[in-house]
Parts: sequence; structure tokens; C-alpha cells
Amino acid sequence: MSERAGEKDAAVEARAGAGDGASAAGHGVGSGPGRVLVAVYGVFALAAGARAAVQIARQFDEAPLAYALSAFAAAVYLLLAVALGRGMRRLALAACGIELAGVLVVGTLSLVYPEAFPDATVWSGFGSGYVYIPVVLPLLGLYWLSRRK
Amino acid sequence: MIDPLAIGLIVFALVIALGSLLTTALNKAMGTVLLVALGLLEIGLLVQAGFVVAGLVGGEGPDDTATLIGYTAGTVVIPPVAAFWGVGERSRWGPAVIAVAGFAIPGMVGRMLQIWQGVA
Repeated sequence: MSERAGEKDAAVEARAGAGDGASAAGHGVGSGPGRVLVAVYGVFALAAGARAAVQIARQFDEAPLAYALSAFAAAVYLLLAVALGRGMRRLALAACGIELAGVLVVGTLSLVYPEAFPDATVWSGFGSGYVYIPVVLPLLGLYWLSRRK
Repeated sequence: MIDPLAIGLIVFALVIALGSLLTTALNKAMGTVLLVALGLLEIGLLVQAGFVVAGLVGGEGPDDTATLIGYTAGTVVIPPVAAFWGVGERSRWGPAVIAVAGFAIPGMVGRMLQIWQGVA
């Protein structure tokens, strides 16, 4: 890719940025700021997935609900990374809704019934173990998807 | 696992993250400097992974090897994927992708250190 192309995009970006940061150069939900979302979802899919795999493999009986939910969260993150990355907007929208519902329900349950969660999940305490990124992420995702029609 | 190398990697990754954020703030696409820095970070992470594997084979390290291996593999995979995904975006959001990786690596290397030292 030539430098000129980069400058052109940067110029388009600068003009778009005058209005707001979200409407950017490029097309689809997986470009511009959407790339950053894909990256964050990718990292979370990797982190949550690897953690859930280890926990389920060696100590599933200790906290079956928590580990199953961690695996489910990892699957949702992976689905979102792929859906956003490939520009599948409707799928991404649905997955974002599931993600938001999941983090709210699991976050509330983990506070109300802590005995059901002897070990933490990604969504416990609304993602307090991950600097609350899990609860902010679906809101960002929905906001981004609603902007990029 | 070598502690000074781990700490160096954490600091270096944070420098890359901040540099990437600055590039995004200045509204520029990915430059060569960021790519080279990401390459150096990857080399450092591979060296660290080598020491981790060598240590485990030599009987060192914690009981919780599975988690340690998971994190080690994760740190090695992230920079190339971030570079690939960031270079494809010729706008300010390319370096923003690198910033995500730059903040993820310190967290993971930090966890590796904790596990290795048996803190967690």
C-alpha cells in the first residue's frame, strides 16, 4: 500500500472526524473504528476461551456454572469478532444483544447469588475482573452498529 | 522465565501502546516505526516463550502449567495478528488496533509472571 493511499484515507478521516469520530473512512462495520472493536473482541475471545478451556478440562466440577458461562462468553466474543470482521451486521447486532444481556444477567446473579459462582467468570460483577470492559464493550458495539448502517 | 525480560517486555509493549494512541490522536495511519517495534516485541516474546518452555521441560515453574502455556501462546499470537489487522486499515484506526495489542500484552505477561512465581 502506497503512502498516498494512507494520506487520502487520513484526509477523508479528518473530514469525517470533524463531525464525530465514528463515521470514518472505509466501508462496513469491520473497518475504521470497527477494526478496534474486532481487535478487542479477538483478545477477549482468546483470553476467555483459553481460560475456560483450561478450567473445564481440569476442574469442571468445582464451579460448573461459572466455567460453562465463561465458555459461552468466549463463544459470543469469537462470534462477534468474526461477524464484525466480515461485515455481517445483523449477526453482530444479535450477538451484541446476547452479550449485553449475558453480562447484565450474570453480573447481577454473581452479586445476588455469589454461592452459585465459587469461581469468577468474565461477566462476574459486570466484568470487574477485566476493568469493567465486558460491560462497556456491548454498549460500544451496539452504538457502533447503530451508527454504521 | 526471566523476570527482567518480562518487565522489559511489559514496558516496551506499553510504549508501543502509547505510541500507537499518539499516532491515532495525530490522525495518522500505521508507520514503519510501529511495525518494526511490534516485530521487536514479537521477537522478545518468542525468546520469553522459549525460556518458559525450556524451564517447564527442565522441571521448573508452577504446578499450573496449562494456564501458563495458554498465556504464553496468547502473547506470541497477538502481535502478528494485530500487525496484520492494523496494516489493513489505512487510517488512524490501524494504530488503534496496535494499541489494543499493546495493552493486552502487559496484562498477559504480568499474569505469566504471577503464575510462574506461584503468586496466583
